[in-house]
Amino acid sequence: MKGVFKFRAEHWIVKSTIIRVSTLGEFVEALRKVDPNAIFYHVYANIFFNCGESTSFFNNSFAYWLYKNNCLELAEKISAIDPIEYPDLEELRRVFLKVLEEDPCVGTDRVMSPFYFLSVEREVVDYGLVARNFKEFVEIFRNSSVNSVFYHSIAFRVDSKMPLNEYSLWLSSIGENKKADLINKLDIYSMNLYEVKSEIVNILEEGR
Amino acid sequence: MLDNYVRFLDEMSLRELHLISRDLRGIRVLHVNSTSKGGGVAEILSSLVPLMNELGVRTDWKVIEGDNKFFNFTKKLHNLLHYPYPDSIESNEIVHYFKITYYNSSRIDTENYDVVFIHDPQPMGLIVKKVIGQKWIWRCHIDTSTPNPHAWRFIENFINAYDACVFHIPEFVHESIRIPTYIIPPSIDPLHPKNAELLESDVKAILEKFGLDLEKPIITQVSRFDKLKDPFGVVAAFKVVRKKYDCQLVLLGSCASDDPEGEVVYKELVSQTVDEKDIFVLNLPPDSHLEVNAVQRGSTVVVQKSIKEGFGLVVSEAMWKMKPVVGSNVGGIKEQILDGITGYLVNSVEGTAVRIRQLLSNPELIKTMGIRARERVRHRFLITRHLRDYLLMIKKLLFSSP
Repeated sequence: MKGVFKFRAEHWIVKSTIIRVSTLGEFVEALRKVDPNAIFYHVYANIFFNCGESTSFFNNSFAYWLYKNNCLELAEKISAIDPIEYPDLEELRRVFLKVLEEDPCVGTDRVMSPFYFLSVEREVVDYGLVARNFKEFVEIFRNSSVNSVFYHSIAFRVDSKMPLNEYSLWLSSIGENKKADLINKLDIYSMNLYEVKSEIVNILEEGR
Repeated sequence: MLDNYVRFLDEMSLRELHLISRDLRGIRVLHVNSTSKGGGVAEILSSLVPLMNELGVRTDWKVIEGDNKFFNFTKKLHNLLHYPYPDSIESNEIVHYFKITYYNSSRIDTENYDVVFIHDPQPMGLIVKKVIGQKWIWRCHIDTSTPNPHAWRFIENFINAYDACVFHIPEFVHESIRIPTYIIPPSIDPLHPKNAELLESDVKAILEKFGLDLEKPIITQVSRFDKLKDPFGVVAAFKVVRKKYDCQLVLLGSCASDDPEGEVVYKELVSQTVDEKDIFVLNLPPDSHLEVNAVQRGSTVVVQKSIKEGFGLVVSEAMWKMKPVVGSNVGGIKEQILDGITGYLVNSVEGTAVRIRQLLSNPELIKTMGIRARERVRHRFLITRHLRDYLLMIKKLLFSSP
């Protein structure tokens, strides 16, 4: 990883999977088999699209659907799963399924408002901008978009299946271990992307 | 021209648009719809087509022609797709649809394009002209969540021959679709005269021109005069609100020449409200962008109490002007309003009245919601996002292996 840092940005186009479910049982069955990109979409859509807004009280669409259908306890349990801790989407799927399967409501066939499983086709855009040292990194980072912040701090973990974001990985490689550690500890899933960006700027500028 | 949008986004986001379109330079794209002006599709295309060209994607826009019989049928089809009225499609209507499609297929060149966007059902029969190597996309702007089965079967014959289709929201996607289906909400153009910034003095002058009292709160619904927009429900809600607040209601709309129902609804509305000095029913020409802009900006609360709604971009227009919107919990309205955050979603006349009262009683809440509403539109419903989505979709269709 030592060397240059290449800035990229993540963009999505949303696709329908045509899978629509109306009971918890159908939901669990669908969650078992949907494409991993569908899980990626539903856990990160809120942070990806609502990047400038206050985060709504449920951060993934599964939890929001459960809440809307009066499965309040289950909604809270599902929302408590922080996908940042599970860069492997298959592992994340297992964690969701475990919580759902342990819930007694899942056995019932109460008809709820429909849940539409969506997915994404991702496009990672290369800025053509590279940082060769810390100073250049800070300069380019400050001007990067929230889509870029999303790619390096979230999507990179999923692509690499590593628990580290790409900023921290590179900063460690140039000896900025403290800053790398602070960035990696940010509670990204509880913030919007502008707040994440601003927090990272603060960390980068600390002590300069 | 694209640079003019930098004030709404940031430089890097605009740069990303250029980067996304880099591989598409020289690609030829055609949009086909049924009208060059009036209605949301034409409004979007008039902004989108020049922007695509600026990015190096050679884009044209063509409009089909048809006679009254053809457009009466497609209007009926539109209504049947929108709502499951008990009606069927006659053989002579289908034959005439094909006759006009055949006529348009000879006058509209589609062969010299890499990607062809067909908007809505009117031109969708042109798919017969598809040649090897081209990608054809059907772009649906209608709420097809509960279609009449005859109407759906009619368009289904065409849809699955396309390479992809696009709907505004997931619930409009029918389970019989077998082609890649994208979800792309429509958008507003912040530089369009309907949305561009106005001087406060201009807003006031227009409101005064309509006889509105600038000292009293204004509640507004902007929509076609159409029963599906429930203007009578808005009047009923207003009458409840007026018991507590000295306020005014504006119902601003127009009667399209191809919609005989509009005139009937307008007249009924006028006769019901003729003695109400605080209710203003404004029937304006369809291109009254400045007036719509000023009324939205001068409003205290905006309402969109539709019973059925394809998307309802007037909601985003008002949100962009920092207005909290009290909107029905239907179709695209619920995609735009975050309930309790950027406005309120309601399900009844009573609910509409309650939420308007809550807002009128709390100017600080109006302000906070208005700020959030504008932010939501900035990220989700501006033309630049729409442009990016189309570019990404074209790229995926042209260059991704199946």
